[in-house]
Amino acid sequence: MITLTDFMLVSAALFCLGLFVVVSKKNAIQVLIGIELMLNAAILNLVAFGKYDRVNNGGQMFALFAIILAAATTAVALAIILNVYRQYKTIDPDKINRLKD
Amino acid sequence: MNILTLLIFIPVVFGLIILVLPSSLRVTFKYITLLATFVQLCLGIKMYLDFKTGPSFAGISNINQYQFVQKLPWINLDLGGAGKLQIEYFIGVDGMSILLLVMTTLVMVVAAVASWEIKSNLKGFFALFLLLDMAVIGVFCALDFFLFYTFYELMLLPLYFLIGMWGGVRREYAAIKFFLYTLFGSVFMLLVMVGLYMSVKDPVTGSHTFNIIYMMNPKNYIDGSVFSVLANGSILGMPARTVGFVVLFIAFAIKVPVVPLHTWLPDAHVEAPTPVSIILAGVLLKIGGYGIIRICMGIFPEVAHNQAFWLGLLGVVSILYGAFNALAQRDLKRMIAYSSVSHMGFVLLGIASSTTEGISGAMMQMVSHGFLSTMLFFLVGVIYGRVHDRDIYNFRGLASLMPRYTVYVMVAFFASLGLPGFSAFVAEAFSLIGAFKSQTVNGLLPQWMAVCGSIGILLSASYFLWTLQRMFFGQMSLKGGEFWKIALTDLNIRETATLLPLALIALLLGVMPSLVFDKLNESVLAMVSFLSGK
Amino acid sequence: MTATVANIDNSQIVTLVLTAVTLPFVAFLINFLLLQKSKVSGWVSTAAILCSAILAVKILIALWNQKPITAQFAWFQIGITRYYAGIWLNNLSVLMLALVPLIALPVHIYSTAYMKHDSGYGRYFTYLSLFCFSMMALVVMRSMLLMYAFWELVGFSSYLLIGFWYTRESAAAANKKAFIMNRIGDIGLLVAIMIIYAMFHTFNMDRIFGEAGLIRKSSINGLVWTTLFEHMSAYWQYVAAAGLFLAVAAKSAQFPLHTWLPDAMEGPTSVSALIHAATMVAAGVFLLGRFLPFFNGTELHILAIVGCLTAFMAATIALTQNDLKRILAYSTISQLGYMVMGIGIEAYPSALMHLVTHAFFKCLLFLVAGIVIHEMKHIKEENNLDIDPQDIRHMGGLRKKLPLTFLVTIIGALALIGLPLTSGYLSKDGILIHSFEWSEDNVNRFAFVPVMAVITTWITAFYVTRMVVKVFFGELQLLKSNPALSLHLTDGGLLYKLPLIFLALCSLFPLFSFNPLSYEHSWLFNGLASNFLVQKNNYHLFVPIIVGLGSVTTMYMAYLSYGKHKWAFPQGGFFNRLSSNEWYIDAFYSRVVVKGVLAFSCALYWFDKNIVDGLVHLLERIGLFLSRVSAWFDKYIVDGLLHTVAAIVEAIGNFARRFQNGKVQYYLYSMLLAVVIVFVLKLLIWS
Repeated sequence: MITLTDFMLVSAALFCLGLFVVVSKKNAIQVLIGIELMLNAAILNLVAFGKYDRVNNGGQMFALFAIILAAATTAVALAIILNVYRQYKTIDPDKINRLKD
Repeated sequence: MNILTLLIFIPVVFGLIILVLPSSLRVTFKYITLLATFVQLCLGIKMYLDFKTGPSFAGISNINQYQFVQKLPWINLDLGGAGKLQIEYFIGVDGMSILLLVMTTLVMVVAAVASWEIKSNLKGFFALFLLLDMAVIGVFCALDFFLFYTFYELMLLPLYFLIGMWGGVRREYAAIKFFLYTLFGSVFMLLVMVGLYMSVKDPVTGSHTFNIIYMMNPKNYIDGSVFSVLANGSILGMPARTVGFVVLFIAFAIKVPVVPLHTWLPDAHVEAPTPVSIILAGVLLKIGGYGIIRICMGIFPEVAHNQAFWLGLLGVVSILYGAFNALAQRDLKRMIAYSSVSHMGFVLLGIASSTTEGISGAMMQMVSHGFLSTMLFFLVGVIYGRVHDRDIYNFRGLASLMPRYTVYVMVAFFASLGLPGFSAFVAEAFSLIGAFKSQTVNGLLPQWMAVCGSIGILLSASYFLWTLQRMFFGQMSLKGGEFWKIALTDLNIRETATLLPLALIALLLGVMPSLVFDKLNESVLAMVSFLSGK
Repeated sequence: MTATVANIDNSQIVTLVLTAVTLPFVAFLINFLLLQKSKVSGWVSTAAILCSAILAVKILIALWNQKPITAQFAWFQIGITRYYAGIWLNNLSVLMLALVPLIALPVHIYSTAYMKHDSGYGRYFTYLSLFCFSMMALVVMRSMLLMYAFWELVGFSSYLLIGFWYTRESAAAANKKAFIMNRIGDIGLLVAIMIIYAMFHTFNMDRIFGEAGLIRKSSINGLVWTTLFEHMSAYWQYVAAAGLFLAVAAKSAQFPLHTWLPDAMEGPTSVSALIHAATMVAAGVFLLGRFLPFFNGTELHILAIVGCLTAFMAATIALTQNDLKRILAYSTISQLGYMVMGIGIEAYPSALMHLVTHAFFKCLLFLVAGIVIHEMKHIKEENNLDIDPQDIRHMGGLRKKLPLTFLVTIIGALALIGLPLTSGYLSKDGILIHSFEWSEDNVNRFAFVPVMAVITTWITAFYVTRMVVKVFFGELQLLKSNPALSLHLTDGGLLYKLPLIFLALCSLFPLFSFNPLSYEHSWLFNGLASNFLVQKNNYHLFVPIIVGLGSVTTMYMAYLSYGKHKWAFPQGGFFNRLSSNEWYIDAFYSRVVVKGVLAFSCALYWFDKNIVDGLVHLLERIGLFLSRVSAWFDKYIVDGLLHTVAAIVEAIGNFARRFQNGKVQYYLYSMLLAVVIVFVLKLLIWS
């Protein structure tokens, strides 16, 4: 029997993985992948907790919504990365510090 | 116009004239100053001649017996619930002050003549000089404590600048030392003055008053006030009136100066220019003695009576200590400065005895020392002005080079060491006789004090004669060689004209002491009976 | 208080006295103001003293053995007490009043010649007149205060005259020494006067010491001294007596204050003759005469012993001195010792008589010394020798060159020794005889006093003979070393001779007594001996014989030793050194007393500079230190607080700024950190 806890453990592991990738990788694409992982961890939670709403299936609904949103943001993010690359000729987030201004 | 007011403020008028005149006329400044002091001298002599004597003009504690009185309201403030602030311009003289006044006017003329040696910043010098002149005259005339204090403090300002700007090598040190020393005394005097003001009521108007004469009468004290005789108030656990007396005494003792509060004097005298030394020794020291008689003993007679032993002791110590120190000096001016300490010790001893002989002798000593120290400092100034050196060992055999100068030095020295025929003899003899008699008359001073004091006369002979021997007798040999020999010319007419009257006055007072005593007697008698509480 | 005198009115007498006293003062004024450079000054002074002398003798004749006269006028007033200036004329004072100008007159005349070539001629007579005035005023004054005044003026004029040649170092040192030592005596006198005035309420000496004076109504009971007016501890009576003794010792050069007199010989010899032999030094004895009733028995005994000791000591010192004037100076001290002893043994008339006779013969001897020194100086200058003209070792054989001088010297010397037919015999015998009687009265407790006095006369005879022999007999010693000397010696003119002859005559007996062997018949003795009982006993016979024989023997011995060179004192022994070094008293004073006082004064000055003034400076330092502390406090504490706040804000800002470095991942770190912290805090606080 797969319990809710198992889902949440997987989800937490996924989240941590994502977080690690986000803060450690020197490549913006990988960071983006980390973000996707963290999003997926959240979506997994949504799905898992969806069992408490069997009438409207709110969990699944929001999961779908989030996936779509994630796809959209990824597209935007990729576009930003592309532009950053054009600007700085690199996508290493450490080298890009103009954000402090 | 009141002659006293005229006397006080004439110098200010002339001082203003000097300030207004352009600096291109600076050669006239000394003549203007001389004129001012000379007018003062004439007024002083006129007052001396007009001064009435007799039991009804004794002065001291009787307000109606003062002469040349002027009384004007000066500062009157209605303080509402706290009563009225009453400060008066109240001046007048009695036998004690008239003599010192006349002496001062004469010393001022001499000091003005001695100012010829001043070469720099004449306008400032003479303006300050005249301001000082006003202040010292004012001190002797003031009968209102506030007025007295004003003049007393006003003296310090010009003196500070006169020493600090026209003095010798260490002038700043001397000026500051002098200023702080004196200020130290007078600040506490201010406190006592305020305390007295709060304690005393004017019997006529009923408001608080600074009137010194009213302060002498125990009836004018408000019941239960700090300094009331009956209330036995205390300050910090000590009897209030004793504290008041001691504080005032310290203030004036610094001026006298009494050992151990004397150390400003050698420095100030040595560093000051000659005219200022003359005023310091001739007049300022007398303000100390006058203050002790008029203020300390006048306002706190019973404390003075109780503490007479200590006053006498300080007097004796000053006599001996000053004399021994004078013996050890090799700077001529410093020696004379210490001799002043010694001679003023007789004043304190005489005053402490509270006998007619003692107080008369003390007053005589003040007058006599006024003239003699003036003469001594003037004489030092003569030699210093010529070669800028005063070290006793740098001169030898001056008598052959400057015979007239030597005659005046001998006159001044012998007069100072109390040779009969000169004023100091009568003064010192009667100070000592008074001190000795005190045991049998009022039991204040033990007899050994007078005996010890007389040793001071011996010591004064030692240091003066030793100096004569070292500087004036023997084969001539000068440190500066031929150059000094040319520079050391004998006295010129201006100097002779200054010294001769002083020598003659010292002689005249010695032969006819009645010139002083006749004016003094009634006041001294009144003072003695006042001190003994009758 | 006034007494009528036959023939002469009182006020006339007073006028005469005042005139006599004032004349020298007038001469002083004239000389001082007008005649400093003029040779007339000598004659002005001489004329003044001549008139004074005539007047004084007239007064002496008129008032001798009459009732005392007093006169006074108010001088000044202190409080209610009047002080008078007045004169008190009794036998003592009129005698002294006559003596002073009588001695001064020959000295003045002598000086006009003696000082003729000195550049300070006018100054000399100015001082001399001042001295005569002070001395004459001193002896007639009635008020103790005025007497003190003139007492000091006498010292002052002596100061001026000793230092007359002020360019000499030794003269300048000597006059200072003389004045300061006299000052010690003055202090004593002043203290005594203070005490007496406090006790008797008057300065008038005749009221205190005169006939039926106040002193007779005072007494000492146990430890309390009582007079009509006051009572005081008896110690003060002793202090007053000690003060008077100091005064006498200083003026009359008694032990221990005698050392100024030999040094005072630095003055011109004529001055030594007048002041340091005849008049001023006698003032101490005169003072004793005036204050005599004040002393009680013990105090008089002490006086007698000190006088005797001084006489003996000075005589022994005179034995070995080689300076002519110093010998005479020590003989003066010795004779003054006799006088003081005479007062001490209550031989008042003899003591004062000795004062008078001594004045004449000692003045004579000094004037002779002046001539001898003058001539020696003459030889010295003429032959360009480097010698001390006062050293008797260079002299000798002057008998033939200076016959008159020699003759009067013999008279003076015999009078000084005290051989019959001279005045010295009359007065000295009186003292010696009475000293034996006095010793007997005191059950011989003080037997050494008369014995010592007699021995002293023998010593006196010896040293006087030595001096005379060395100066006048034999051959001129200088010729031995310089055989080619040119000598032009004379007695000098009339101005030298007249004074000598006059004084020599006064040194013989007729002036004092017509019986050359008996002092009791002297008018002088009888005039002074009003309360004095002359005893009849064997002393009057034996003492003169013993003294005379002894003196002649020692004179002969001295003649043998110095004239014939038959024998000589062993040189270099202890007594010889003691004598020639003047008993080491002066050395003791200069090494111990003077050095001590100077060291003490230097120590006090050090104390003044470093301790008293040091305290002031310490206060100054403390003030400065306090001000620095408060400045520091103000700067670092008060102001520092403000700065700390600013610094904290700045530090926080700097810290926060570090988080905003523009790196995305860093922001994430921070976020994570913040979340973790919040989480941890939440765990810690809320659980």
